[in-house]
Amino acid sequence: MELEEMKSLWSNLSKEVEQQKILTDNLIMEMTKERINSKLNKIALPEMIGALVCFAGALFILANFSKLDTWYFITCGIFTISYLILLPIVSLRSLFKMKNVSLDDTNYKQTLIKFSRNKKRYMMIQKSSIYFSLLLVFTAMPLAGKIINNKDIFFESNIWYIYLPVMLVFLFFFSRWGIKCVNNVTQSSEDLLKDLEKSSSSN
Amino acid sequence: MTKKQAFTEVIKENQGIIFKITSVYTNHKEDQQDLYQEIVYQLFKSYKTFKGNAKISTWMYRVALNTSITYLKKEKRGGVRIPIEKILTYKTEQEDTIIEDRIVLLHTQIKKLNIIEKGIILLYLEGKNYDEIAEITGFTNTNVGTRLSRIKEKLKTQILK
Repeated sequence: MELEEMKSLWSNLSKEVEQQKILTDNLIMEMTKERINSKLNKIALPEMIGALVCFAGALFILANFSKLDTWYFITCGIFTISYLILLPIVSLRSLFKMKNVSLDDTNYKQTLIKFSRNKKRYMMIQKSSIYFSLLLVFTAMPLAGKIINNKDIFFESNIWYIYLPVMLVFLFFFSRWGIKCVNNVTQSSEDLLKDLEKSSSSN
Repeated sequence: MTKKQAFTEVIKENQGIIFKITSVYTNHKEDQQDLYQEIVYQLFKSYKTFKGNAKISTWMYRVALNTSITYLKKEKRGGVRIPIEKILTYKTEQEDTIIEDRIVLLHTQIKKLNIIEKGIILLYLEGKNYDEIAEITGFTNTNVGTRLSRIKEKLKTQILK
């Protein structure tokens, strides 16, 4: 198919589309109003719910911090609280940055560069959160045992014999899948950026 | 005429542009509806500050294409969709089925292009010259030319397969 044929086919399509004047004043204003009213829907809901769950977890540990009476429980507690508070904040901040790229005063190329960079950054945060969650698995369980049942499961080897292999198998598959997804998205953003940077240097 | 009335007039006048852009950047009807609504909203927001320095169509293509780049599918599914089924279930009234098939084929192949190529070919097919494409996309005229010939080759190969 030659470009001229493509153009003529596109113009056929355009003529047909132009004839269909379906939008009314009301429909247009309804569309904009719906978007204004549902501003919150635009915020990625799963990330928001995830962040709330993390904050609740951090608050729970913080409220019971006095029950952590040994150096290793205190270390686990500090790590878990920091993780549960910091990671959702960093992740949400990066997500907002990615979504809040200016749309009317930048051209297509600038928007693509900004968006791809922010997306790459967001994906890197997601990737590091997967690695950190591996550590979290080993700190959360003893903490829960200590706070809820006042048990020091570091010295209860039977639990570790079951818990460790099960968690390791689960985490192996989960992190392999998660990192593969993240790598695919990051790679496509990188390829796009390379292409755009190449065109900038050849201009 | 109030600014609001002027805005709705602009949208009504150029609704075909939005339709064509959304149809290239999405693969499913629901996504297309969401993107359509998002573009109208972004145009509404941007219209308040539009001073008329650029042509209205240039401004419109710029905002609509930028919105399509930053459009994130999964997050908008929760929102309410205004029923604009009729527009988005557009079916050509061409009696010539060969032309209809060719249009569908072209559309399918454009969707397979990467995001940079999609934007450039769309503007080209919309009848924009190199200067206008360069103004909207930010690439130089030479770069637009080079990319267009690459896209042409790519589409040819894809269609022949």
